[in-house]
Amino acid sequence: MAHARTSQPVLTARAAGLLGCRVCGRANPGDAHHCARCGGALSGPSGLQGVLAWLFAGLVVYIPANTYPMLRTSLLGHTTESTILGGAIDLAHHGSWGVAAIVFVASILIPVAKFAVIGYLALAVHRGWPLQGRTRFHLYEAVEFIGRWSMIDVFVVAILAALVRFNLAASIAPGIAAISFALSVVFTMLAALSFDPRLIWRAADKDTA
Amino acid sequence: MSDADDTPRLPDPAEMEITPGRPSFWRNLSPVWLVPVLAVAVSVGIAWRSYAERGTLITIAFENAAGVSAGETEIRYRDVSIGVAESVAFTADLSQVIVSARIDNTAAEALSSEAQFWVVRPQVSAQGISGLNTVLSGVYIEAALNPDAQPDGSRSFVGQDRAPLLMPGRRGTLITLHAPDGNRLTPGAPVLFRGVQVGQIEEPRLLPGAEGVAVDAFIEAPHDQRLSTAARFWDTSGFSVSLNTSGLRLSVGNLASILTGGIAFDSVGTDGEAISRETVFELYSDEDTARAASTSVVAPDRLRIAAEFDGSVQGLTSGAVVRYRGVRVGEVAGIAARQVDMGPAPLVRMQAVLSLDPAAFGLREATTPEQLENYLETLVASGLRARLAAQGVFSTSLVVELVEVENADPDRILHPEDGPSVIPSAPSDLSDLTTSAQGLIRRVTDLPIEQVLDQAVSLMEAAETLLADESTRAAPGAVVALVDDIGALVGSDQMQALPGEVQSTVAEFRAILQDFQQQRAIETLVDTMTSVQTLTANVDAATTEVPALISEIRRVVGRVGDLDAEGLVTAATELMQTTDEFLGLEGTRSLPPALTRALDEVQAALAELRQSGIVEGVNQTLTSARSAADSIATATQDLPALAERLNALVTQAEGLVAAYGARSPVNEEALATLREARDAARAFAQLARTLERSPNSILFGR
Repeated sequence: MAHARTSQPVLTARAAGLLGCRVCGRANPGDAHHCARCGGALSGPSGLQGVLAWLFAGLVVYIPANTYPMLRTSLLGHTTESTILGGAIDLAHHGSWGVAAIVFVASILIPVAKFAVIGYLALAVHRGWPLQGRTRFHLYEAVEFIGRWSMIDVFVVAILAALVRFNLAASIAPGIAAISFALSVVFTMLAALSFDPRLIWRAADKDTA
Repeated sequence: MSDADDTPRLPDPAEMEITPGRPSFWRNLSPVWLVPVLAVAVSVGIAWRSYAERGTLITIAFENAAGVSAGETEIRYRDVSIGVAESVAFTADLSQVIVSARIDNTAAEALSSEAQFWVVRPQVSAQGISGLNTVLSGVYIEAALNPDAQPDGSRSFVGQDRAPLLMPGRRGTLITLHAPDGNRLTPGAPVLFRGVQVGQIEEPRLLPGAEGVAVDAFIEAPHDQRLSTAARFWDTSGFSVSLNTSGLRLSVGNLASILTGGIAFDSVGTDGEAISRETVFELYSDEDTARAASTSVVAPDRLRIAAEFDGSVQGLTSGAVVRYRGVRVGEVAGIAARQVDMGPAPLVRMQAVLSLDPAAFGLREATTPEQLENYLETLVASGLRARLAAQGVFSTSLVVELVEVENADPDRILHPEDGPSVIPSAPSDLSDLTTSAQGLIRRVTDLPIEQVLDQAVSLMEAAETLLADESTRAAPGAVVALVDDIGALVGSDQMQALPGEVQSTVAEFRAILQDFQQQRAIETLVDTMTSVQTLTANVDAATTEVPALISEIRRVVGRVGDLDAEGLVTAATELMQTTDEFLGLEGTRSLPPALTRALDEVQAALAELRQSGIVEGVNQTLTSARSAADSIATATQDLPALAERLNALVTQAEGLVAAYGARSPVNEEALATLREARDAARAFAQLARTLERSPNSILFGR
């Protein structure tokens, strides 16, 4: 650890047997269940089970999201179904490299990166892999930030399906993949939420100790 | 972090690191794990459903799969999608297109081998426009399943080119119609019963042996109950106009029939029997024919047998009569050419397929074609042959005769594998007939008609010239005048007296002859007779000169009587020539003037005679002549005796000469003279008789 601002280690709340309230910030005795000031529930880091569970669920529903068609487009009675990756490839084939890149990044790259990051963080904390706590926290923050934008595909599908309803001439219907993708995004967001950043610091403290 | 740090501080930190014995794995499990479990369950459920619902793979083989694309072309049944084509590929030999499709399991369970598939495309036909929706949506494959059929797990099918007219599972009766041609038989054309569509026809197909077409017609239930052997089918396509004693009649079918053709049927009488699937009906060209037909059912027990002919069958048509001993036993069902020899130079013979009615042979009606064929086998063994014959003397149409040829080479009925049995044929005598007819025509053509006409024309011209000649025209008048003169002359007293004078002359003649007789002047008599004979011969020659033309004509007529066309014409030509020449002769030309002149002269002579009193002189002469004639008459009476005597004399002379023993020239001459004398006597007797009968014949010839 290159951070040597103080040579004297600071007594942490955890070392002092205290538990901070995540609502009002008051330090409570470690064995207390409710905050003495605001009455909020007090809990220590719940561990990685929730993260892993949500992550796993997200991965599971991400499979049909990619194998099943995202959009069912009917143009003059001519129905085509396209998956996410197939759609991106089609766009690229038609020369719309920009749109293809957006679709690919938003629908493939970012979700996969999220799975990877959350999985890495969880494993790193669990196994105590060496990495600066601050770097891990940046990763965590990035995942949390990007999570709300991951629904862009789902939004597009929802808007298209709602707008393009011209019966025989043209119509667009969401496929199973749209729901799966939405679920996958939700699950990964929940996984990111259920990751307690205190675990990062605790692990970092352990490293420095 | 260390607990060994003994900094005296309150409160004491708890033993945080101590965890009491790890609880069991399940106790420690967070309920949040239910979420991934559910997600897995749902995913697996979706996957399973997809797998279970992806349907059964079937393959359909098409000749042409235009518009079918993998993953898009739907399979529809009753216009509801039951699946999608999964792949479009070729068979290994590229002969067909194999469309693999996934169809719903419920539909797949009902699949039987009767199921039919075809590609629906936009189609414009006389019946209307169909498949228009496929213009936008692309083609789809329509399936026709028979709900009644027992599912047999068929998964491979052969696609149809077009929608089947007979949808599987439709109730009705399929019948077969025979027609001479398929001109107006459009697939899908309606079958009408009293103007109501009760079914439709399928595509006509050719019958083996080219004896027409067969077309299947599907009569929907319950209308098929109206079918019986009493049903008559006819073609209603278009309209017909007929004009007969009952007036002008225009019959028009319904509009669809006009456009697409169609057939109608009706029951004639009520005594029809139920039909079977094998019943085949005849399709008549119009309603009247159909109603007049004794039966519409094509006899199932008819024997189809072929006869092959080497030569031309020109004139033989489908429907021509087949005769056996002059009785119609069937008709020609079709004519085709067939290669009978597979050698280097293929031999092609003309084959007529005969449709024979066993009943017409006098066999029992129940006789099957096989039995008739066996019967024919025995007949063929005894010389029965098929032969072409002319329908009539003046007809160029041919019929087929089954004749018993005497001393025929043994033969038998052939049974080729690819067609009807073949009955041996005998060469027909049509070729000879044709040859002789051709010869006749050639001879007629070769007749010198023009020459004859030329001759006739020149004859006419000569005759015209002759007739136009004034002297010719004058001749009749001169003749009339002459006849008048003669009449006057004959009517004169002197002429009336003439016979008597003549008689007296004859009497005198007789006296002279008596004198002759008395003087026994045989030599003189002989001389006289000779001159008389010469005279007679001259008269004869004179009389026979003109009749030469007549005899010529008679000869010609006789040859005409021979009925020899050529000879007739030749003779006619000769006649014409002869006549022409005759008329063209200077003598002939000058005949009328000469005749006229002669007649004039005679007339003048007669007039002179009458006027100049010469008649009296003649009378006198005749008087003396009469006495002479009397003598002649006497002599004539004696002539036979004289001839007898002469005969005897000749005989005696002959005997005398024979007695001399040698035929010297003198004797021969004497004998000849004697024979001549005899002949002359005979001729003189004849002349005398003639003179007795008609005295004036000496003047006018006979």
